[in-house]
Amino acid sequence: MDIAALLRGDAVHRAAYTDPAVFALEQERIFRRAWLYLAHESEVPRAGDYVLRRLGPDEVLLVRREDGGLSLLHNRCAHRGARIVTEPAGNARQLRCPYHSWTYALDGRLVGVPLPEGYAAKPELGLAKVARVESYRGFVFGSHAAEGQGLGEFLGGLVSAFDNMLDRAPAGTVSRFGGALRLEYRGNWKMFMENAVDLVHPGFVHRSSVEAARGQPQALAADGLTQQGAQMFLANGMRAPQWDEVPLHAFPGGHVYMGGFYKGGVIGAERDDPVFANYRKQLVERHGEEKAANVLALDRFNNLVWPNVSINARFAAMRVVQPLAADRTVVEVLCFRLDGAAPQMHDLTLQFVNLAASPASLVASDDLEVFERCQRGLQDAALDWIDVRRGVLGDRRQADGSTLGSGTSELAVRNQFAAWLQYMRQ
Amino acid sequence: MKAEVEAFVLHEARLLDERRFADWLALFAEDGVYWVPTLPGQASPQEALSLFYEPKALLAMRVARLERPDMHAQTPASRTVHHVSGIEVSGLEAHSALVVAEWRLGETRWFAGRVTHKFRKETGGLRIVLKRVDLIDSEAPQRAITVPF
Repeated sequence: MDIAALLRGDAVHRAAYTDPAVFALEQERIFRRAWLYLAHESEVPRAGDYVLRRLGPDEVLLVRREDGGLSLLHNRCAHRGARIVTEPAGNARQLRCPYHSWTYALDGRLVGVPLPEGYAAKPELGLAKVARVESYRGFVFGSHAAEGQGLGEFLGGLVSAFDNMLDRAPAGTVSRFGGALRLEYRGNWKMFMENAVDLVHPGFVHRSSVEAARGQPQALAADGLTQQGAQMFLANGMRAPQWDEVPLHAFPGGHVYMGGFYKGGVIGAERDDPVFANYRKQLVERHGEEKAANVLALDRFNNLVWPNVSINARFAAMRVVQPLAADRTVVEVLCFRLDGAAPQMHDLTLQFVNLAASPASLVASDDLEVFERCQRGLQDAALDWIDVRRGVLGDRRQADGSTLGSGTSELAVRNQFAAWLQYMRQ
Repeated sequence: MKAEVEAFVLHEARLLDERRFADWLALFAEDGVYWVPTLPGQASPQEALSLFYEPKALLAMRVARLERPDMHAQTPASRTVHHVSGIEVSGLEAHSALVVAEWRLGETRWFAGRVTHKFRKETGGLRIVLKRVDLIDSEAPQRAITVPF
């Protein structure tokens, strides 16, 4: 397949979104090479704890061993191939296949086989290990590639998003909590990553929720959740010049972050209420006044670690994109507790995610609709090319290899496809 | 009272099927809440994420949006049938089984779960203080959800 032929200057061939052969190649060359987010260490605190997750095309078990280390194992019995574990999380002393009772230690070693006399020599097979697993300050990633960049180098300019979330925790650590929301759409995975930093669409795609909130101005004076919802819906109603002022910062590897656009009120960087005042005091105790102020002032919305993670440090939330087919994608939405902070701080996180990212959200439901419309439209063979030129004249290349652009630029899409080509062509 | 509550629950389902969303909203008490949790047996909206957790004022925005022509996820609109059965009434509380079929753009989707209604007797009649829908697949990936259950 001539991958380079799918990109033409500032246009992308529709096959990049629709062709199952391109999807299969992406799975091999991107999702079997890149570092992909797996889980947070707080999900497997004790020996024997495990979680069942997707790592690209495969299903894997992240297991806490007796020695405190983490094993990342394929969930496939080395004997006849049955899935070992079917629960999403649990605790076990050993991993045992239900079919012929092959039994494995927490590091994947085969420790028991029934009827051993039937073998000339004891089978040496163990559960297949994923090539690499590494934690960045508690955030665990895996890679199917034995070689390549280390995790820190891979995260590059986006390390700051993880650091900022941790700096926002009075105890300096975060813990996963709150279960998950899961969205699905009949569209290509790349659409989610592009849309998360597309700042022209909110005014059009989310217009109905902006107008619904504008129609109820009294909601802004209401308490808590209602006020938060109204402010979040209204924020999408900024005019183009205001969106233009939201900075985009794109990095090698396809990563990008956008500046924040939630200004003031309960969704602002600093709030005027006793819970927040106490939280701020905790941060000042931890960091000192100057750093605490900087931590709170770091105003970014979506921070994308390409190919499939979006982090919002301010609201301690993360989305993980799981491609299932060229035209089918699942997005998992996860929350983190800022350890040491009052429970009300975590309510804000849950509400933010419910309101912004539930499949029933007044906001996200229209994004999902648009992805499905794009996927359907791209089936049409009359036009092959997708234009991604918007804002190209405003891209400002920096000395460190990153690129700055204004909010309404399609810089992020161009940057993602530059990374895509780099993975895909070799 | 039992007959009144049963009739109320069936009427509420019909209002959703007939897309009379403003009338549906009016069934909620001023402090009423509509809740679809993600965890089976979820104790509170603070314990975990929710597909919906909306006090009436937010529900009012949802309803206002459902009536707008620029709500893309309802262009064209869905047709639904909310099938309610096994209504058990105990004082001002009702438990029922719910199956929703939703047809849109040539496809039918199905949702199923158990519903808890909590009511208050007000001057205008019964009002919903809480409608909680526990979907059997509350943790599963869902495409856009637009019409309330």
